[in-house]
Amino acid sequence: MAEVPVKAGEPGGKKLLQFDKQRTTNLLLRNLMALVVIAVAVYFTIVRPQFATTANMRTILIAAAPFALIALGQTLVILTGGIDLSVGSIVALSAMTSAAIIVDHPERMVLGVIAGVVVGLLAGLVSGVVVAYINVAPFVATLGMLSVASGLAYAIGRGAPINGLPVEWGLIANTRFLGVQVPVLVMIAGFIVLGVIMTRTSFGMRIYAVGGNRTAAEVAGVNVRGILTSVYAISGALAGMSGVILSSRVISAAPYLGKGYELGAIAAVVIGGASLTGGRGTVWGTMLGLFLIQTLNNGLDILVVPAYWQTVISGILIVSAVAVDMVAAKRSSG
Amino acid sequence: MSEAPALTVRGVSKSYGGVTVLHSASLTVPAGHVMALAGENGAGKSTLLKIVSGQVRPDSGEVHVYGTQLTQHDPISARRLGVAIVPQELAPYPDLTIYENIFVGREIRNRAGVLDRPEMAKQAREMLDVFELDIDSRWQMNRLSVALVQIVEIAKATTWGARVLLLDEPTSAIPDHEVGRLYSVVHRLREQGVAMMYTTHRMAEIQELADSVAVLRDGHLVFESDIAGADEATIVHAMVGRDMEALFPGQTISTGPVRLEVRDLQVIRGGPSVSFEVRQGEILGIGGLVGGGRTEIIEAVFGVRRSYDGTITIDGEPLERNRIDATIRRGVAFVPEDRKGAGLVPSRSVLDNGSLPHLRSFTLGGWIRPLVRRNAVEKATASVNLKCRGLGQLVGTLSGGNQQKVVLARWLTQEGCVLLLDEPTRGVDVGARGEIYRIIRDLASYGLAVVFVSSDMPELIGLSHRVLVVRAGKIVGELDREALDLSDAQEQIFRLASGQTLDVFGEQVVCTG
Repeated sequence: MAEVPVKAGEPGGKKLLQFDKQRTTNLLLRNLMALVVIAVAVYFTIVRPQFATTANMRTILIAAAPFALIALGQTLVILTGGIDLSVGSIVALSAMTSAAIIVDHPERMVLGVIAGVVVGLLAGLVSGVVVAYINVAPFVATLGMLSVASGLAYAIGRGAPINGLPVEWGLIANTRFLGVQVPVLVMIAGFIVLGVIMTRTSFGMRIYAVGGNRTAAEVAGVNVRGILTSVYAISGALAGMSGVILSSRVISAAPYLGKGYELGAIAAVVIGGASLTGGRGTVWGTMLGLFLIQTLNNGLDILVVPAYWQTVISGILIVSAVAVDMVAAKRSSG
Repeated sequence: MSEAPALTVRGVSKSYGGVTVLHSASLTVPAGHVMALAGENGAGKSTLLKIVSGQVRPDSGEVHVYGTQLTQHDPISARRLGVAIVPQELAPYPDLTIYENIFVGREIRNRAGVLDRPEMAKQAREMLDVFELDIDSRWQMNRLSVALVQIVEIAKATTWGARVLLLDEPTSAIPDHEVGRLYSVVHRLREQGVAMMYTTHRMAEIQELADSVAVLRDGHLVFESDIAGADEATIVHAMVGRDMEALFPGQTISTGPVRLEVRDLQVIRGGPSVSFEVRQGEILGIGGLVGGGRTEIIEAVFGVRRSYDGTITIDGEPLERNRIDATIRRGVAFVPEDRKGAGLVPSRSVLDNGSLPHLRSFTLGGWIRPLVRRNAVEKATASVNLKCRGLGQLVGTLSGGNQQKVVLARWLTQEGCVLLLDEPTRGVDVGARGEIYRIIRDLASYGLAVVFVSSDMPELIGLSHRVLVVRAGKIVGELDREALDLSDAQEQIFRLASGQTLDVFGEQVVCTG
């Protein structure tokens, strides 16, 4: 037995050494994504110096922000072993809700913002209740919500986008605070808040427990249904926020806004090392996944690679990331 | 039949994560011979069967079937050599018909290339006739009882020409009155020259069915003999083979007032109800056959299984039933039978697992207090003598015994009053077993009321201050410490557990034999 008591430390048999080597490999594999992001950025900087300008960094960040919020919500859902396909159409529903209010009552901006977020929250809450209490598979429940929310978004505008919003609505997304746009600040705050929640609070720990082994969590007294309901509600609210930001950026709202965003968000989470079966993944990982996708899109744009080739590249990227993950998992278990 | 024996296993070893579950096992089964493989839980029986059937690759050693070595360790190669296994957990397609279940993967097609259902039904019918089963092969699988499903599995395995048949605990899920049916199938296959190896706990069955018996203990093949040379006592001794006195030192029972009182607890709506009480410092064992309703009782007390009626009182105060979180807050701890499935989150650390049940006590307004948590978990894990590389080690990478210690330790971060355990040493090696017994006894002496369910007779008799025997969801007998010290205690328990009448199982019998 090379297993040593809790406190006893470093040296040990051959086995321990082997574990250290394993740990180093794991460490490398775990940070592989960070290295890849850096490598990609360095490559673009060398071939196109304009990549590394402040202006371009701003572009990347502002483009990432609405995605980031969705990906954060998705991370929580995926950690419980679920999936939320409805976030893209919740973006549209929230944007349309806010816009519909603002266009009639230009003076009630705050109400517009709150309404957008609350609508997202409610949509997520419904999915969460259906998943947690009626035991409908998350894929099915949120697929249903995708359709419902999208339909509602079209209904609000009677099939058309809402234009003619007051210019002030654009201030939300375009105001700078200490030189940084508000959406970027919201994104950074989102990462920090959720990062802390997932590592420092009992709520975060319970999310991991539910995803890692639902039955065991139940036996340990975790309110599994409550946890499940809340992650979908959080995901919905974050999608709502994303919708508000997007509509503010273009000072209008369209029912097709955010279409397909759910897949991009899922990709970011998965590239970040989360397991779709739940229990494994981190907020930090999602952030890396997100920035890999965003950096790549931006850099390929600068290189004038056509959009369709970009799509091919991101497809390959997703599968490679998961493949690397499988190898890592095998190493650390075997 | 060729000259070589049907099955030869030579020096086969296997270890998982540093724990050796099979130490260089060698044995031979001739054609038309039935070998019983006996041993306690975790002795390595299933691993051996899995190696022979190609599901598990041995670390070293060879498997030969009729003189041909199994080189590719996968189920398909083993099957090609004629090895078939009927696993303990059967996995039929319940919504398909019997003949579809039999022919899945090698369907018969007619000339037009579509399924020839009448032909398959007819051939299936003939197979079942061989075993004298009066069932229609066009029935849906889910109409059959477990015993019949098992026989269909055997029929399926033998009709594609299996010459070595492995049966893993074939009778564990079958009521007594259907066991005979399985026996006649085994006899018939033996006449046809099929070599069989099967695992079992039941002594009577070994005497009845087997030509020879091999006993595994902690991965070592410790005994092998013709059935004539192996009476029950010899086999049991070989299986247990440890110094009972050392594992279960003399009991000093000093019990206090009643801590847990269960009154008329009903687990099945309208079903039987149970009542019992456990005193401070008392260790109450619950014995009975698997499926007899033992697990259900403690699960219902804890709240993981719904109870329909009755009262549970802890230290004189009633407990809200079916509320796990409330039960935990009242100081009740539960160690489930299925450690991996219901006890631990393997992808998380010892620290996280250790702090999950009493998480509330380490948080302030939802914020985890890292130091408080670490200290409590460190103390709890040290008290059970957990061996790990640190609190950050993932629980999934611990050995079975150490995992069980984590399952125990996580309840010890807070002062408790009732400890419920289901099969506390299943899959735990002998060394760790002794430690777990010590922990349980210590906890009782600190004043906890302990209730545990066990299928392990020496454990039940050695550890308990008092034993309740459960059959068909009812408490049918009680043995106090004095009765447990008598030499016929095991027999007593077994007699109570199996009962005199056999029709208590409410079985759906769909055929005549």
